[in-house]
Parts: sequence; structure tokens; C-alpha cells
Amino acid sequence: MIEFKNISFSYDKDTPVLKGISFTINDGESVGLIGANGAGKSTIMKIMLGLLAPSEGEVLVDGVLVEKTSLSDVRRKLGFVLQDSDNQLFMPTVFEDMMFAPLNYKMTKEEAENKVDEVLESLDLMYLKNRYNHRISGGEKRMAAIATILAMEPEAILMDEPTTALDPVNRRIVINTINKLPQLKLILDMILDTCERVILLSKGGIVADGRTEDVLTDKETLEANRMELPLCLQGYKGKVCF
Amino acid sequence: MNKAGKALIELRQMDELADMESPVHSIHALIKLIVTITYIVLVVSFHKYDFTGLLIMVIYPLFLFNLSGVPIKTCFYKLRLIIPLVCMVGVFNPIFDREVLVHVGNVGISGGVISMITLMMKGVFSLMASFLLISTTKIDALCAGLRMVKCPSMLVTLTLLTYRYISVLTEEVAIMSDAYHLRAPGQKGVHYKAWGSFLGQLLLRSMDRADELYNSMQLRGFAGEFYYADRKRIGVKDIIYLIVWVGIFFFFRYVNVIGLIGNMIF
Amino acid sequence: MHMADALLSPPVAIVMDCATASMLALSVVKLRKDDSEQRLPTMAVTAALVFAGQMINYSIPGTGSSGHLCGGMLLSALLGPYAGFLSMSVILAIQCLFFADGGLMALGANIWNMAFYGCFVGYFLIWRPIMRRQSNSKGGVRGKIILASILGCVITLQMGAFSVCVETTASGISDLPFGGFLALMQPIHLAIGLIEGGITAAVLTFVYQARPELVKDAQIMDGGSKSKHALRNTLIVLGVAAGVVAGGFSLLASSKPDGLEWSLFGNAEDGYSENMGLDEEKYGVDSGMKDNAEAVQDKTSFLPDYGFKGNEENPAGTMVSGLVGAAIVAAAVVGLCFLGGFFRKRKAHAKTE
Repeated sequence: MIEFKNISFSYDKDTPVLKGISFTINDGESVGLIGANGAGKSTIMKIMLGLLAPSEGEVLVDGVLVEKTSLSDVRRKLGFVLQDSDNQLFMPTVFEDMMFAPLNYKMTKEEAENKVDEVLESLDLMYLKNRYNHRISGGEKRMAAIATILAMEPEAILMDEPTTALDPVNRRIVINTINKLPQLKLILDMILDTCERVILLSKGGIVADGRTEDVLTDKETLEANRMELPLCLQGYKGKVCF
Repeated sequence: MNKAGKALIELRQMDELADMESPVHSIHALIKLIVTITYIVLVVSFHKYDFTGLLIMVIYPLFLFNLSGVPIKTCFYKLRLIIPLVCMVGVFNPIFDREVLVHVGNVGISGGVISMITLMMKGVFSLMASFLLISTTKIDALCAGLRMVKCPSMLVTLTLLTYRYISVLTEEVAIMSDAYHLRAPGQKGVHYKAWGSFLGQLLLRSMDRADELYNSMQLRGFAGEFYYADRKRIGVKDIIYLIVWVGIFFFFRYVNVIGLIGNMIF
Repeated sequence: MHMADALLSPPVAIVMDCATASMLALSVVKLRKDDSEQRLPTMAVTAALVFAGQMINYSIPGTGSSGHLCGGMLLSALLGPYAGFLSMSVILAIQCLFFADGGLMALGANIWNMAFYGCFVGYFLIWRPIMRRQSNSKGGVRGKIILASILGCVITLQMGAFSVCVETTASGISDLPFGGFLALMQPIHLAIGLIEGGITAAVLTFVYQARPELVKDAQIMDGGSKSKHALRNTLIVLGVAAGVVAGGFSLLASSKPDGLEWSLFGNAEDGYSENMGLDEEKYGVDSGMKDNAEAVQDKTSFLPDYGFKGNEENPAGTMVSGLVGAAIVAAAVVGLCFLGGFFRKRKAHAKTE
């Protein structure tokens, strides 16, 4: 459903950020996008969403070329969960924030409110409905941010590090929620029990793209690109302890 | 705790008060706004010597504090900001206006003293009224009310967004202040060499935040027009509330009940 | 400088509310014409930042005390006068509501005293003229930023403090003579203005060094390329402002100045001590200067203190005519702008640039 064709991008001519990247993600897939700081992960997201225009190549979302005239169609299909939920939730209450996208997409108030209730029910978040966004906890904010994206009924969900800065319980809640979503999922960051496929990015190019268990066990490739084996494979103080 | 931390607590306190449930909380925000403004205008319009007439106006805040369950203590804490300038202005009245207006026993009370007391009462009453408004009304309801009277949506949206980010940025300032003072023991404030960079750094980060915020709006279909999910309409109860209070205010403004009672007794 | 409701009489407060409302309307119209809805997030975050920035204590070199920021000049230097004015107004409204810093009825006056001077006067008469002066180095621009910030803060705070005195005196609240009041307010605000100017200058030069594009008019330029619109904008803003305030205050001048009110009551001392409170009515009757029509007018007039007995004029009428006059002036100026296609031209002009 999402197709990158030979995408290059640079802010100025001397320092390319992305160098000829191509990949395809199909409906229902769950993909993790990993790479060191500055590898170009966020840039890929922004190009996909049409926030940045690639210097070369083209992006297709559901067969539609991402360009100025198609932006609203494309963005309707993609739900992007930001890393900082405070930037996502800009309305005073959770309810109003969730209403924002449906109302923008010309749903009537009744339809939109039904949709909001439906999403909140399905995520067990009804108790958050009329709460202030600046009064809820970090974990609740993350869940509210996901809920606010789900209320716009996206066909694909993009998430920027959805589990950072969460305690284990909240982390588990968020992961379980993500696992239940039927949509295509592209996650910046690696969640072992969610992503079936991993794309490893380094210095603006793709160095590995494959099944999670293959990419993440390849110690040499990982370490050559400023990454490391998942902690569970490293064991305790270097010793495998099972 | 630093100033930013205290401000955050104060904000949270107001949010929690507005989140309570009471008959006053359930009145439409716009109605409460109109009643509050009417009250303040009438209180302030009392003549500067009309101390007895003004006194009866205390009924509104007292009644509302009781009805809403909002603690009066919180309100008095807020007086600290507004009272200094009022005092500064009022404290000169006894000096410049020495004509004795009232005798209590053998002690003459000058016009200046009376006008000073009246001034302070006006200050306290009007503060209580606006405090009661915001402690029984959520800001989004108030903004929805303002939209009903065709307040430009740009202004309303700006207010809501600003209110939302005030707590985010104040929290950052609180953290930064702590971080600064942990490394600068004994300094009362930020050293002048760091005047620019302290707020400047936060400003640069905030600009990035604003960009990201705008992106997140765009990605959810924002095209320059804000749509709101206003739900509440003005009901019969609200109209009655409005008529009763405004009626009472005007009655007390033009009929000096305390004076009349006083005259009957003497 | 935040004024409580008690410091203003209703007519003065309402005049200031109207003046502020018309400036808000002008700003909204102006920003809408420039398609600035997309700048709302920036405005909101900057406003929140200034609010948070007010919580920072800055130690003042050489003294044991600390000062803080108010923010009008900072906002107009970052956002421009119109967006800056809206943002500052929102900050003041939130302070008024949530922190009881300034009264609700006095909000218009407070916005006027703190946001109008800082944003419009500060920008059009101080910031931009200074920044548009020729300079061809980064250091030169920095010097201009420092000069404009300090001058701007000092001057606009002085104007604000002066307005507080004028408004309070016009309200007849204090028996303190106008001169004495000024002598109290101006020096304090000179000190505050200097500190605020220092902080504003420090923040703006820091921002200028890191991201020069964020600071208004801070491009290095070789010549003072002043567009004709710039002058027109200045004139419009000042024209509307002057019109509204003059309209408002003309009526106040014709109603009861404090001294007169006081002397009237000085005469009434005897009656007053007997039954104060009811006296206001009684005094009017005793003086025999009032006819029945006026009695009715006084009882029904919305702002009865100013429907003073014995006054030949009908102050409520003056009040209304003053406001109507002010509104007409404001409407006429805005209307003329529309008729002249001024906004459209400007937009076209911006597009071709």
C-alpha cells in the first residue's frame, strides 16, 4: 500500500539525507523502521506524509502519487502518532481532540461523536473522554494520542517511537493495543512482538530489510550500523541466562 | 518550589475546581459570564462613599460559594496579586480627604477612610465574582460561549491553544529552573549572562514544537478552519438564573436595603 | 501594572474595553487577510512561552533583587504587531481569569496598557524604524536589537504606567492628585522597563544568533527599503486607536471629573452624615437642580454614578454618543481599507514578491 520508489532527499545539496531509497509495505503488514540517530527515519515519515517533498523519486500511497494536489486524500489514509503526545493533543480535552479530525473531514457532529465513543469503547478509555489533556498521565496521553488517530479511521498507522518513556505496564498496554489494530503499521523503533518485518536504515540508505528474526540476530550488520542486538539476546552482563 | 511550579499547582487547582459538580457548574458558561460582568459593573459603579449600599452586594459571592462548594480560601490567596495596587491607590484617600462624614460615638470617620474601605470592598467583591466564574466553568465551555456571541474564531482558538500549551511550557520552565538552581546554589535568579540563553533555548525548542503541532493539525485534515464540537445549549434554567441574578443586582444597586433597614430602626 | 476592577469606573473601563476590542478586531481582520490561520500554533506556543517566561526570576546585576519579563515587545519582535497583540491579549486574559491578575471588567484597560503600547507603539514607532536603519553586519543588527528592545520596553512601559494613572484619575477612584500618582508610578516603571528591556534584548540577540529568521525585520540590509504600506499600516493603527480613545475620553471629560464630584459632596456633608447611602438620591432632590425627567433618566441610566444630579448635561447620552462616535471612526477606517482594496493589493503584492 505504501511504495517508495528511489527516493532521495537533501536539505542542502552537499549533505544528502536519503539516497535512493525504495521499499514497499503491503496492507496489514507490521513493519519496524530502525536506524541510528540521523539515519533518516523521521525524514522518511515526513516524505510519506507529504510534509517534505523528495528531491528525487516518487511515493505512492494506495496507488496515489503523493503530491500537492493529492495531499488531503493521502493524509486521510495515514494516521501519524507523534512521539510527543503533547504536540498531538492540542485541544483542551480528549474528546475535543478526537473530534478534530472527523469534523475536519466533514463528518456531522453526531457521526463524529459516535465514532469517538466507538473508539474509546474499543480501547477501554471511556473514562478519559472529558478529561483535560494537560491533566492526564504520560501513559494516558499516549493512549489518547492513539485514540485520536483511530478516530479518523486511517488505513495505515505510522508511529514515532510509541513506547518510549512509558513504564512497563503502560508499555504493555500500548503494545497490546497496537497488536490488535488490523491496519498496516509502520513503527519508528523496534517492538519485538509487534513487527514481523524490519527495515534497517543507515546513513540515508537501506542496509537490511527482512523478517524480524533475521535482521535482529545479525550482530555484525547491526553493530556496523551503530545498532546492537536486542537486550534479550545479549543476556545479563553478556551471559545468556535463560 | 520555584515560581513556575507554583503556577502549575495554581492552574491545576483551578481545573479541579471547574471539574466539580454543582448547580452552579451546570449553568451555561455564557450566562455565567454575563451575570459576572453585570455584577462587577454594578459593584464598581457604587459611589465611593456608598459603603452601606455596596455591602449588600456580598450576597452574590457568598451565595455562590455555598452553592458551588468552591472554597473561599483559595480565592483569598489570589487577592495577593491585585490588592497592592488597589491599596496603593486607596491608602491616600484618608490623607487627602479628611472631612468627617460619619460619627460613631465620638469618633469621626472621614470621607477618605470610607472611600478607602469602599474601594477595597469593590476590589474584593469583583475579584470573588470573576474567581467564581472561572472556578465553576471550564475554559472550553467558556470559549464555546464566546463563540456563541460571535467572538472571532481566531481569538477563541488562540486562547484554547495557548491555555493548552501554558502547562506544557510552564512545566519545562519549572524543570529548567530547578536544573539551573541545582548548579547555581545561592543565586536568587538567573544570572544576567544567562538571561538570553535561558529563555532563548526554550524559545527555539518551542518553535520546533509549534512546527510539529502545526504538522499534526495538518495531518488530521486542518485546512485553516476550526470546527468545534460544541454540545451545550442555553436552557430555561439558564435563563431563569440570568433573570433572577440580574434582577437582584439592579434592585440592590438602586434600593439601599441596608440603609432602609437602618432608617427603620433609628 | 495589572489593574483591578475596583480601580476603574464603569465608563472608563467600558471605553477601554471598546478600544481594545476594536484593536483586536483590526488584528484579526489583518491576520485573516494574510491567511495567518496557519500561524495559530506558532502564536499559541509563543504566547505560552512568554507566559512561562514570566515565571523565571532574573537576578539583577549589582542588586540583591530579581526582575521578570512582561513580554509585549518580545512578542511583537517575534510575531509582528498584530499576532503579537493577539497573543499578549490572550496571555492577559488567562492571567486575569486563572490567576486573578487584573480584573475582568478592567481587562480591556489592562490589554491596552500592556499589549497595545508594547505591540503597536513598540513595533511601529520603535522596533521597525530602528531595525530598518542601514547596517551591513551581524554586529550592527545585534546593536539595533539591543537598542530597540531597551528603548521599546522603557517607552512602552512608561506609556502603560501613564495610562494607568490617567484611567484611574478619570475614574475618580483616588483622592491622590494626578501629579502625585504619576510621581509614584513612572519611576518604578522606569526601573522595570530597563530590566525588561535588558531581558528582551538578551533573549532576542540569542535567538537572532541561532535562528535569525525568527526575529522580525532583522535582515541585514543595505538601504532603508520602506514600503508605502508600512507607513499606511502605522497610520491606520494609530488612527483607529486615537479615534477610539479620544471618542471615549471626550465623553468622560464632559462628565464628572473627580474634583467636581468631590466638592459637590463636600457641600452635602450635613445631609450625608445623617443617612449616608441614601444620600446620593437625597442630595439631588435637596439641591433642587433636578427635574423629573432627569430623575427618571438617572434611575434608569446604566451607569448611575455618572448620571450625577445637578449636571446640566445628560451624561448617559454623552457616553453613548462617545461610544457610537468611536465605533463609527473605527468602522470607517476599517471600511476604507476594504474599499481601497488595500488588503487585496497587499496580498497580491506579497505574492509577487
